[in-house]
Amino acid sequence: MSSPLRHDVQGGGTAPDSRAEELALEAADQKRADERERKLGRRRRFIEQLQGEGLILVLIVVFVLMWISSPFFFTQQNLLTAASVISVLGVMAVAETLLVISGEIDISIGSVMASTSVLMGVMVSQGLNVWLAAVIGLLFASGVGVVNGVITVYFKINSLVTTLGTYSIFLGVAYAISNTATVSIGGSGFQVLGSGKVGSIPVPVFFFLGLWLIGLLVARFTALGRHIYATGDSYDAAVRSGIQANMLRMGLFIATALSAGLAGVITTSELGSAAPQIGDPYLLSVVTAVILGGASLRGGRGTMLGTLVAVAILGVLQNGFALLQFSTYLEDTVLGSLLIIAVLTDRLVRRAER
Amino acid sequence: MSDPAQNEPPEAAQATPTQATPGQAAPAPADATPLLEARGVTRSYGNVAALAGVDLQVRPGEVVGLVGDNGAGKSTLLKILCGAVQPSAGQLLVNGEPVTFRSPKDSRERGIEVVYQDLALATELSVAENIFLGRERRRPGPFRLLDRPRMAKEAEAALESLAIEIHSVRARCGLLSGGQRQAVAVARAVLWGSNVLLLDEPTAALAVMESEKIGQLVAEVAKRQVGVVLVSHNMPQVHALCDRIVVLLRGRVVADLRRDETDVQDIVMWITGAALSRN
Repeated sequence: MSSPLRHDVQGGGTAPDSRAEELALEAADQKRADERERKLGRRRRFIEQLQGEGLILVLIVVFVLMWISSPFFFTQQNLLTAASVISVLGVMAVAETLLVISGEIDISIGSVMASTSVLMGVMVSQGLNVWLAAVIGLLFASGVGVVNGVITVYFKINSLVTTLGTYSIFLGVAYAISNTATVSIGGSGFQVLGSGKVGSIPVPVFFFLGLWLIGLLVARFTALGRHIYATGDSYDAAVRSGIQANMLRMGLFIATALSAGLAGVITTSELGSAAPQIGDPYLLSVVTAVILGGASLRGGRGTMLGTLVAVAILGVLQNGFALLQFSTYLEDTVLGSLLIIAVLTDRLVRRAER
Repeated sequence: MSDPAQNEPPEAAQATPTQATPGQAAPAPADATPLLEARGVTRSYGNVAALAGVDLQVRPGEVVGLVGDNGAGKSTLLKILCGAVQPSAGQLLVNGEPVTFRSPKDSRERGIEVVYQDLALATELSVAENIFLGRERRRPGPFRLLDRPRMAKEAEAALESLAIEIHSVRARCGLLSGGQRQAVAVARAVLWGSNVLLLDEPTAALAVMESEKIGQLVAEVAKRQVGVVLVSHNMPQVHALCDRIVVLLRGRVVADLRRDETDVQDIVMWITGAALSRN
């Protein structure tokens, strides 16, 4: 550049020594800023470790605590049962993680699960084949995803509010249709989805791990994954880069609802019956797992590994509480506390960056 | 001193190439077809005319400064040029061809790229990921997985060619300084073949040294025959960087000044309207 830039609106020359002085001040400022940045970097790394390695540490601690507390905990039988139970949550947590990374949230999943199950019950009791009923149930679940997506994305409504609304709507529908009655469902080998085993490993575990692997692939190794992160991180930047951010979020709402439908089908198969209550435990637990795993409610952040570890932590706690015969109310309290802790940790990470 | 009746100055007076300063390529001659041209662009909001018959031309390799006081119509004009706002009257031309931009997407397809002061980058993604955002390089194969090494290599080469210093293209953009982010955003726009770069207050939030670097980057970009429109309040910078300075006052172009014919005080007088009453 030919002439040096100055901030003062003076066309003429500034004295050369004052220019040098200005530069020196500038350099000192820069140095201070660098130092501050380094310090913040250290703090940020520490908190990130809390979220990453720290989470694994928490898993190990609760695992060992349960092992010590109950002689039944560390047995193959029990661990496989626990894995099967938590897999239903895991199936939903994978899609929910991607949705949260994209900057949205879906808390209607519990009621989608329940209404899918009840719908299946109605169809089977009318004489429909149970597998066909399951497929229709999944279609219905995707439909709820479309509703969530359209309201949130195209009418620009906060997804927490949208899905709180659809949660209530479809839970009400589930109870009304079923008249709170349980319908037994089975035959055609349908129970294999929920209670079948490959070797000694329960089938639901394969659903979870399979979906988790797909989620990992998408999040880390595909362009789609980058677009999901970018959309949640900076919606404007994503749109300016030609990313169809609205379509992307819409798709993730559908995927999340569909996975809730799948969780409903698996649970129905496992119980051998359709019931409107089956979604109740998942209103908060799925979101807790996702946030505990490090996904940020503000979008742009989260990992599949974090979600896996968080799901495992919840699985161990749930199983341990059952073995120790703790009150289920206490479980709710612990779940709520975990959610608050997870949100606070996220807040600390964000603050450490400023 | 320029002619006071500058609303529609004669063609020849508008963009005579200025003396090329060291490190700056001479812009295309005045008779070259403008990359981007606005003719009689008007925009009214109810009874208020934000822009009233504005003409603007940007030629290859030319840096045009767009200055004016708050409310003079700079940002409205910028929004019209990139298609974010549609003119009530008047015509836009790209390479001499009349065009209608219904959205920024349309203008981007014609090689016009805006770099905003912020919001330009995804802070959680790396420099390379941001540069390739929406245009990722992928490996062959059924899954078309990301080719990170290739993206990193190409991003490095690209930044180097524009003399942008960033320690690692794998660094998260959130950890970069404001100037570095700005540079990445500019590099991104240039790399993807934009012919016209609209810069909205690129240095308003930057430290002196950083804004000087952005200035060098603008000169580098212009050397590649890209046309640059620079909206800024920093008059010394505008004077130092721009081949031409277009001054807006209450929605009209009141002056179209060549760099070598004007100075900062002169520009400021045009902005405040003092030059009009003086003549």
